[in-house]
Amino acid sequence: MIGNDIIDLSVAKLESNWQRRGFLKKQFTEHEQQLILAAPNPFVLVWKFWSMKEAAYKVYAQQNEVRFFAPKKFDCLLMSEKEGLVNFKNQIFYTTSIITRDYIFTLATLDKAIKAYSKFVMPQFIDRMIKIKLEDVTAFSAKEIKQKKKKNRAPLYYYKNILLTKSCSISHHGSYGVFSLLYP
Amino acid sequence: MTRKELITSLKKIIKPYVQDQEAFKNLSEETDFINDLKINSANLVDVILDVEDEFDIEIDNESMEKMLSVKAAMEIIETKLAKS
Repeated sequence: MIGNDIIDLSVAKLESNWQRRGFLKKQFTEHEQQLILAAPNPFVLVWKFWSMKEAAYKVYAQQNEVRFFAPKKFDCLLMSEKEGLVNFKNQIFYTTSIITRDYIFTLATLDKAIKAYSKFVMPQFIDRMIKIKLEDVTAFSAKEIKQKKKKNRAPLYYYKNILLTKSCSISHHGSYGVFSLLYP
Repeated sequence: MTRKELITSLKKIIKPYVQDQEAFKNLSEETDFINDLKINSANLVDVILDVEDEFDIEIDNESMEKMLSVKAAMEIIETKLAKS
C-alpha cells in the first residue's frame, strides 16, 4: 500500500494560516509543535509534517477502508531531510519527502523497501496520464484501461478484469498534481 | 436554534473553502465536505476552528475525527450546544 500528498506552497500560504489560534494545537503533537516553532522556516515544516500525516493516513485508510480526520494522532519523526517515520496506532509508515521552493511531496509506504512509481502531472490530466503510464508498462491500450473506484476509496485501474495497480494514490493541490503507482 | 438556522450558519462557515460550487448549491445533510464539496483536507481544520469560534464551543479530538460531512458537523454542534 502507498499513499501520497502534495502541497502547493503558494496556495498553502494563501489559503491557510498556520499561525491562527488552534491550528497547530489541533493537528500537531507537542513534539511537532516544538520543532515547528524552533525551525528556521516554521511554515515549511508545518506543511512537511502535514504532508507526512496525510500520506500515511491515505495508506491506513486504504488498508482499513475507513475515513476520519485525526492528523494529531499521526506522530511524525524526522530521520533525515527526506526520510521520516509516522506512527499511528503502533503501526509505522515510512515516508520520503521532496521539498522545493514551490511544493512539498510526500510518499508513504508500509515497507521501506517498496519502490513505487510517482509522476508529477497537471491536475486535470492525472487520470489520463495514469492510463498512458499503464499502457507503457502493460502493453494494454490506454483506451481499454478503466478506473474503478468504490465510493470513498482510492482508485484502482483495470484492463477488463485484470487488475493493473496494486495500489494507487492521487493528490492535487493548486497547480500541482501527482500520482503514485504500485504494480501487482 | 432550529436545524434550518444551523445549516444556514454552517453553510456560511464552509463557503470560503468550497471548491465545487455546484455541489454547494445542492448542499444537504448528506453532503460530504471532501468528496462532494471538494474542500481540501488541509482546510478541514479551518472549518473546525471557524465552527468553534462561531458557536463558541470546543470540538474535542474525538468529535473532530468524525467531522467529514454536513450531517456529522450538525450533530456535533447540536450536542456541544446542548451541553453548554
